[in-house]
Amino acid sequence: MLLEVTDLEVYFPIKSGVIFDRTVGHVRAVDGVSMTIRRGETYGLVGESGCGKSTLGKAILNLEPPTAGSVVFDGVDIASLKGEALRKERKRFQMVFQDPLSSLDPRQTVEALLLEGLRAHGMDTDKSATRARLRELMEAVGLPITALGKYPHEFSGGQRQRVGIARALSVGPDLIVADEPVSALDVSIQAQVINLLQDIQDELGLTYLVVAHDLAVVRHISDRIGVMYLGGLVEESEAGELYDVPLHPYTRALMSAVPVPDPLVEDTREQILLPGDLPSPANPPTGCRFHTRCPWRQETMCDTERPQLRTVEVEGATATHRVACHFAERIASGELTRHEVQPELVDEGFGPLKIDASPLSPPDAPLVP
Amino acid sequence: MTVSTVQTQAPVRSTEPLLAVQDLRVTFGRRGEESFHAVDGVSFDVRPGQTVGLVGESGCGKSVTSLAIMGLLPHRGNTVSGSAMFDGEDLLSMSQSQLRNRRGRDIAMIFQDPLSSLNPVVSIGRQVTEVMERHRGLSRKEASPQAAELLERVGIPDATARLANYPHQLSGGMRQRALIAMAIACSPRLLIADEPTTALDVTIQAQILALLKELVVDTGTALVMITHDLGVVAGLCDEVNVLYGGKIVERGTRHGLFGRPRHPYTVGLLNSIPRLDAPRGEKLSPVPGSVADNLPWDAACAFAPRCVNVVEACTTQTPQWDGDHVAGLRCFNPMGVQQ
Repeated sequence: MLLEVTDLEVYFPIKSGVIFDRTVGHVRAVDGVSMTIRRGETYGLVGESGCGKSTLGKAILNLEPPTAGSVVFDGVDIASLKGEALRKERKRFQMVFQDPLSSLDPRQTVEALLLEGLRAHGMDTDKSATRARLRELMEAVGLPITALGKYPHEFSGGQRQRVGIARALSVGPDLIVADEPVSALDVSIQAQVINLLQDIQDELGLTYLVVAHDLAVVRHISDRIGVMYLGGLVEESEAGELYDVPLHPYTRALMSAVPVPDPLVEDTREQILLPGDLPSPANPPTGCRFHTRCPWRQETMCDTERPQLRTVEVEGATATHRVACHFAERIASGELTRHEVQPELVDEGFGPLKIDASPLSPPDAPLVP
Repeated sequence: MTVSTVQTQAPVRSTEPLLAVQDLRVTFGRRGEESFHAVDGVSFDVRPGQTVGLVGESGCGKSVTSLAIMGLLPHRGNTVSGSAMFDGEDLLSMSQSQLRNRRGRDIAMIFQDPLSSLNPVVSIGRQVTEVMERHRGLSRKEASPQAAELLERVGIPDATARLANYPHQLSGGMRQRALIAMAIACSPRLLIADEPTTALDVTIQAQILALLKELVVDTGTALVMITHDLGVVAGLCDEVNVLYGGKIVERGTRHGLFGRPRHPYTVGLLNSIPRLDAPRGEKLSPVPGSVADNLPWDAACAFAPRCVNVVEACTTQTPQWDGDHVAGLRCFNPMGVQQ
């Protein structure tokens, strides 16, 4: 195991008051996630906006300090590291961001951008070796050597993302967290960057955590996939199996909502429309987080007990397939059927007026304000 | 929760087109500077009740086409030529006041980002009733219950209470629904949707697409769907136009185009999308290069530098439109069969 995440929580405080800030509640962005990533694999994290997938990615790299839980990277607990020790460790895990234009300094040339990381980690000692390294990086991401002298604005979107990838690679990391690496790009360019990420992985034996909202992209690039909903993982499985045997109602709905560029498929497949919107993570539903929108919701348990990830005995599901649903077996066997769900109102914004001011802290985990 | 009902409603091919766009050209650029042809001779027809898709990547001119038809381009800095006949009248040569009488009543538009196309300081109800007051001469009192009905129609729960809400109080999907309610307030005969679901999550996108399908069937309005997502088009449109560099490069019916794409760009686009139902482990075959490599259309095919099927004629002559108003192609060396 390269990475082991246990009961990770990231809560953001909601402040209120003019002179004295008072914490009136918490946005539970990541609410108890446990997962492991093996060396050399690609783990895909999917979910809709607001489900906490990006926060989880950042918390794993300690870019967003976790409220509780541990992140063990190759034997070291990153979540508890601080200062210089954390900075030194950072060269082993790097990040590729969604929007390359805002994540690259507009006033630095590509060469300066790449050198910055190398220098910070004391890897720029020999001039000719550095030169060769830069050349190698440019080659790896498919940019010409002349690109080193250019500024980010001189590139197209796809090329900029290549620069972002080169920067992540420059310090020789083991793990790369890519947060929506292709969602800002045009379709024809997306495929180029996806292929590039795969080629680099084959060549360097990297481990990826890919965070994305596009299920088709994630399925294509990942070995294993975790589906997130409102701060928690609801299903985790091998990529192929997830599509063949989706067990969680949310995964099913998500899968059926992705448009397929083939009219024959579009006309015949079953579509599960979810009513309403994602509930506010500041005031998540009790029990199963998904029960307010679930077409398979049952009278008992769903609204009172929060399901944990577990393996289930379903045909086609292997031991690595875990799902957080009380009724996964009975849904898979067809015993339970879908019913209509009335959409519930969801208010936008986290204004203090709309938030239940009752204390949110779980009984055993003290909250860091 | 109806699904795929629109397909059973065959578009009525015999009727006259509701909107006939002929040789639309939009050029940007100041005097004395080299101008940029954003839309370079686009022609297409929309018949009553038909859903027509305009697909392409950023910079292909799909949005500018719609803005030009609606007369929403800025007054300075561009030249528009060609014609857009709606009901026997040319929208492009209408005065602003004539256009104002049309917009919202006969033709309505749904934009990509609902938050920036709704007025943040006016309540939802007021914004919906405004259209009805302007075009149908209703008083605010008369229009208000109808606005609630409309919101209900587009699937906003507790509609009467929501009339008093402001855009920021609604979620992204609800805002888009409110925008659709405004668009259909006067039962327009033509609806132009410019990337209506791009800013939304997939499950919300599915809701909105289902709603649009339903509206087309129920009200018989024609729909022009502008999108970059071939998946959306595959599920929704009767006719598909693929744009590249400001020109339509391929047109076909939904089943015709996806079943047997012929232009190398269409094929390239289809091959570069990871499909949810495809076997895993295969590499994607992207379209090489980027839009920046385009050649000018006047002496070549703009797509030639990125094309896998390029022949000599591609870089020396402009490919002509080979086809009609239903299907056609602009290519010297089309793909034989789908690869």
